[in-house]
Amino acid sequence: MTERHELPIVAPGIDDFAREGAGPAGGWEAPERPQVRLVPTHCCFCGVQCGMFLKVDAHGRVFGVEARDHDINRMRLCPKGVVAYQQVNHPDRLLRPLMRDRRGDPLRPVSWDVALDRIADEIRRIQDAYGRDAFGVIGGASLTNEKAYLIGKFARVALRTRHVDYNGRLCMVSAAAANKKAFGIDRAANPWADLLEAQVILLAGANVGETFPVATQYFWEARDRGARLVVVDPRETPVARTADVHVPIRPGTDAALFNGLLHVIVREGLVDEAFVRDHTTGWEGVRDTVASYPPERVAEICGVDARRVEEVALLWGRAERAMALHARGLEHHVQGVDNCLAVINLVLATGQLGRPGAGYGTITGQGNGQGGREHGQKADMLPGLRDIENPEHRAIVAERWGIDEAELPRAGTSFVEMMEQMRAGQIRGVIGFCNNPLVSLPNLSRIEAAYEALEFHAQADFFLSETAERADVVLPSAVWAEDEGTTTNAEGRVVKHNRAADPPGEARPDWWIMRQIAERLGAGRWFAFESPREIFDDLRDTSRGGIADYAGITYEKIERTGGVFWPCPTPDHPGTPRLFEDLRSAFPDGRFRFHAVEWREPAEPADEDFPLRLTTGRTVAHFLSGNQTRRIGALVEQTPRPWVEVHPSLGFASGDPVRVVTRRGSATYPALVTDTIRPDTVFIPYHWSGRVAANRMTVDALDPVSKIPEFKVCACRVERGDEIDPLSPPPIPPGRMPQPFEAEPAGDARPPTAPQGRGTSER
Amino acid sequence: MSALRRSTEDAAAPRGLDVAASAAGVAAALVTLAAIYLGSRRLRDFDAALIGYATATVFLAFGVVYRYVVWVQSPPARRYLVRGWGSFLSWRNFRDFPTLVPRELFSNLAFQTFIAKRGAGRWLAHQALFWGVTLATLITFPLTFGWIRFDVVPPGSRYAMYLGGVRTITFAPLTWLGWMIFHALDVAAVLVLIGCTYFLWRRFRDREATTGQRLGFDFFPLVALVAISVTGLLLTFDSALLDGQDYAFLAIVHMAVVVLTLVFIPFGKFFHVIQRPASVGVDVYKRTGLEREGVFHCRRCGAPVESAAFVRDLERTMQELGLRFGEWVETCPRCKRTQRGERYLEQVKRGFS
Amino acid sequence: MMQRTQFIDPGRCIGCQACVAACRECDSHRGRSMIHLDYIDVGRSVASMPTVCMHCEDPIAPCAEVCPADAVLVTADGVVQEAAKERCIGCANCVHACPFGVPKIDFEEKLQYKCNLCYDRTSVGLAPWCATVCPTGAIFYGTLEELLAQRPNAVVSDIVVFGEQEIHTGVAIVAPSGYARDWIPGGLP
Repeated sequence: MTERHELPIVAPGIDDFAREGAGPAGGWEAPERPQVRLVPTHCCFCGVQCGMFLKVDAHGRVFGVEARDHDINRMRLCPKGVVAYQQVNHPDRLLRPLMRDRRGDPLRPVSWDVALDRIADEIRRIQDAYGRDAFGVIGGASLTNEKAYLIGKFARVALRTRHVDYNGRLCMVSAAAANKKAFGIDRAANPWADLLEAQVILLAGANVGETFPVATQYFWEARDRGARLVVVDPRETPVARTADVHVPIRPGTDAALFNGLLHVIVREGLVDEAFVRDHTTGWEGVRDTVASYPPERVAEICGVDARRVEEVALLWGRAERAMALHARGLEHHVQGVDNCLAVINLVLATGQLGRPGAGYGTITGQGNGQGGREHGQKADMLPGLRDIENPEHRAIVAERWGIDEAELPRAGTSFVEMMEQMRAGQIRGVIGFCNNPLVSLPNLSRIEAAYEALEFHAQADFFLSETAERADVVLPSAVWAEDEGTTTNAEGRVVKHNRAADPPGEARPDWWIMRQIAERLGAGRWFAFESPREIFDDLRDTSRGGIADYAGITYEKIERTGGVFWPCPTPDHPGTPRLFEDLRSAFPDGRFRFHAVEWREPAEPADEDFPLRLTTGRTVAHFLSGNQTRRIGALVEQTPRPWVEVHPSLGFASGDPVRVVTRRGSATYPALVTDTIRPDTVFIPYHWSGRVAANRMTVDALDPVSKIPEFKVCACRVERGDEIDPLSPPPIPPGRMPQPFEAEPAGDARPPTAPQGRGTSER
Repeated sequence: MSALRRSTEDAAAPRGLDVAASAAGVAAALVTLAAIYLGSRRLRDFDAALIGYATATVFLAFGVVYRYVVWVQSPPARRYLVRGWGSFLSWRNFRDFPTLVPRELFSNLAFQTFIAKRGAGRWLAHQALFWGVTLATLITFPLTFGWIRFDVVPPGSRYAMYLGGVRTITFAPLTWLGWMIFHALDVAAVLVLIGCTYFLWRRFRDREATTGQRLGFDFFPLVALVAISVTGLLLTFDSALLDGQDYAFLAIVHMAVVVLTLVFIPFGKFFHVIQRPASVGVDVYKRTGLEREGVFHCRRCGAPVESAAFVRDLERTMQELGLRFGEWVETCPRCKRTQRGERYLEQVKRGFS
Repeated sequence: MMQRTQFIDPGRCIGCQACVAACRECDSHRGRSMIHLDYIDVGRSVASMPTVCMHCEDPIAPCAEVCPADAVLVTADGVVQEAAKERCIGCANCVHACPFGVPKIDFEEKLQYKCNLCYDRTSVGLAPWCATVCPTGAIFYGTLEELLAQRPNAVVSDIVVFGEQEIHTGVAIVAPSGYARDWIPGGLP
């Protein structure tokens, strides 16, 4: 009856404090108010761009966060936002430039001059030998507008290469392309405050509760006012759980569903004929197409109940005011653009546009997903959402930049296509800012080969990412709180980030780095910026008259108003929170364009060998490639590792090692067995690297228009595995010690309690 | 409502005189008086100048015992008192766990290692405070009671210490030992000042400490200790460098602050000195109870909850307190929450509204 | 129910754990999260529920009642404070007596820790951290009038029942409109 047991006896959930790591560098401090300065700024993470204050101590050190009552988030923050500040003084920060002389050598610290001279030399050498386009620039959509703008200008004016693209290509380019095709302008049509007026909200492929947690309040408050919520998602996500209708479609069947909804709306006579007649073109083609998508067929394609299709169609069709929003779930497909167009067709056919509570939008993923694609770091775009192949646009931008139009390169290729060109030796050198393709791109072994094939690779980052780790030169950059600048959130609202601290060590902001390289390439006069404000003035001037017109937006105006929605052409213009209030598109004829869309099978449909559909996505505690969030103790504690989510019908128990196999690779994860996923679908979050990187298995098929990869569906099979594959801890600079929590504790390869992470008593 | 408020208000709050506690307090005061009388050889060794201190001590004895008796009457405290002393005095425990009690006394009471876990600074400061106060107490009480007295040994180059009238050691004043004996209280004062400075700094600077802090409860004790130490050091300063010109005045001020502090002990923060030994009792009880009766496992998930003895005793305590959910102790805290959540989903609402 | 208090609505919770992260930022226990976030329907749904201290009013604070060291103070405003550092002897009585499973304990420090309604914030008119950041309003801080102004359909209860024991709490729980009872089941049959 007696049992040996050590004291103390710790019952579950009574001492689950964060013991180590889960805190700011230098420990937790709680000084009295007089010793604290609050710097107003916004979060560095997702496209919501929540306002926050950073707490700065008497020594100028960022040590905490305080809630800020900003219009966007009204003091609210998600778990990533709360701990974002812990990046600022993080012990893993890159503090000096690193360099290796040849592949295989270890990285060693060097001076800025040595690193920058090497980069300039290599750029010159490669461009002289193989042509200007043999050197590429890759940007990112977490950069401020100022930096994103400068990336495009840097590539085209300093390097004069056509090869510049950015990681937004992995995000919302499908929506961007669809918006351009249907509306002639690429921006969410409504501010989120409009959601509160909607009677029906349709949310497709958007796990809002985990990827934009703070945006959830808009949906919940709309429901408090009587709105009905429809969620389209193969998984029962936190917002889908309580939705009025959840349509758990098979991954890769979105276009069929939306065609089916429109089919029912046509059948029931719920089309807004007057709107269609007066404000649109192309309706007939769409009407004829959707005729072949009766609910029964849709139900079969999508694997859902036909009655649910009817129900959603009637809800939407009978609503006076309805809004549709979507995110990556709809966009990460080889028919991503078509999927978005199918949603837009539904919106246009029912005239749900340009009014409070009636509208449409994509929820951009990255912090500056919207602004990052507007100002010219995209292969086919010039600042102000201008088209690089449009002679008028080229002439304007060349004139504003003070260069000869003939010297302005033509359109380049997309991010994933650049990887192919790198492998093929067409691109020999790359400099990357703010991206981590060795985690975030599909079919990673090909991406690794692409970087391997480069003659020269430089990467700027504030942590040593998996991509930076392989570079020849690594440049230490500043985190968001160490520089100022603007971002444009998912609504199209331009907000201002403020500087709270100096960069540590020798770290410098990306714009300073680009200026140094440009000077060494003899292009210094186009980059003689002393501050982000000067770059923003240049951006405003260049965007003037464009579609994304920022000319009337100033830092002061943003600070005064809490954010300005573009277009804002003049200083006295109040900005444009809601587009299309006059029911006119941005095309010269003012009409919105219908585009008939046929559903097609995904690039890799399920078959006998690979009978299941693998879909990848995110979890609330981590962000994108995890280079930031896998280093923050609180987030690692919440969700330490990836897992594979499977339906109970597959015969596994939670925690079982389950091997997921696709045509490109396999890995073994702990199973999280749950009813919340379709029996024919498995899910893996993609934020981790190494053996367990989900992108080892994803397919690198691209949408023909937007060039977005099909992250959201490929064929796979699952089998009982032997041993769960271990985590790779995030890389750290030479000579440093890893944080204790960064490596996986031995024997703790448990799945999370739920997709949102481990419960506080399960750690 | 007043009965419900009982244990939650600061326990020193007056709520009518407790007869048992009063009797015990009076008894303690009488014992203290007797000890002074006998220990000072029927007041022959008693220093009349120190009568204020002695009087305060008698009141202190009453107050501390009164408060103690009130305290241990509450069901949880009484249960731990009985269990703690029972385990402490058990021959069987002494035989089975001979090192347990000494280890507990050492780490828990003398060196307070648990405070080190809360923070190195807090531990160092508390140790300084603790040893300073302990040293001062060990000297002052016997001195004021007349239990210790010093006298010159003829021909006058050495001093002798008398304990209860019995001559013990002799020493020369200008040696290291002599200096230590005459200045021990100064050393104690410096230790106390070091500790108090840190804690006062914390009470102005660190919001962990400032949240909910109260003037009387948190600041007064520190200020009182500073006042005692500073006036005590001033006495030395005055006699050593100023030929004692203000000695009489300073002595009265010093005595006043000491008396005030002593009388305050039963009512405020200092009472933790009296309470803290209970933690040794609880630890010994938990350890031995666990070895004898084993672990109690959660009714729902099977994870260990606490020792079976603990669970049984807590259920009884709750019963005595009129809390009618004692059996809930048999479920671990996590499962309590999960089960409440499950009931909420089933019986209140599953979804948004 | 306290005048200004927290209202807990598990139906709105998305389980994101912003509350857990924010709780660590509380100046009165920086670095330690006091809130519990449990996934309460594991394997069947992603339902989750936050647990903060309910600040029991009647019977008042069982955690304080069972404390052998009088370490748990209830301030005049009804807030059940965390254990007084100098008094707590780390016995864990409160941990196991609390019907809601709220208190935590650090056995090395011999010290109980629990949610104190962010006393550093609420005592000066700010909302507690968890309610401040909660993206969904699953944890709301304010008066009942303020809650109803935003959620006209909400019904709240400040009575939780454990077997035969009714507990009136300082923090309230949200029920759907038309909810038949005036109490919330506590989980003990």
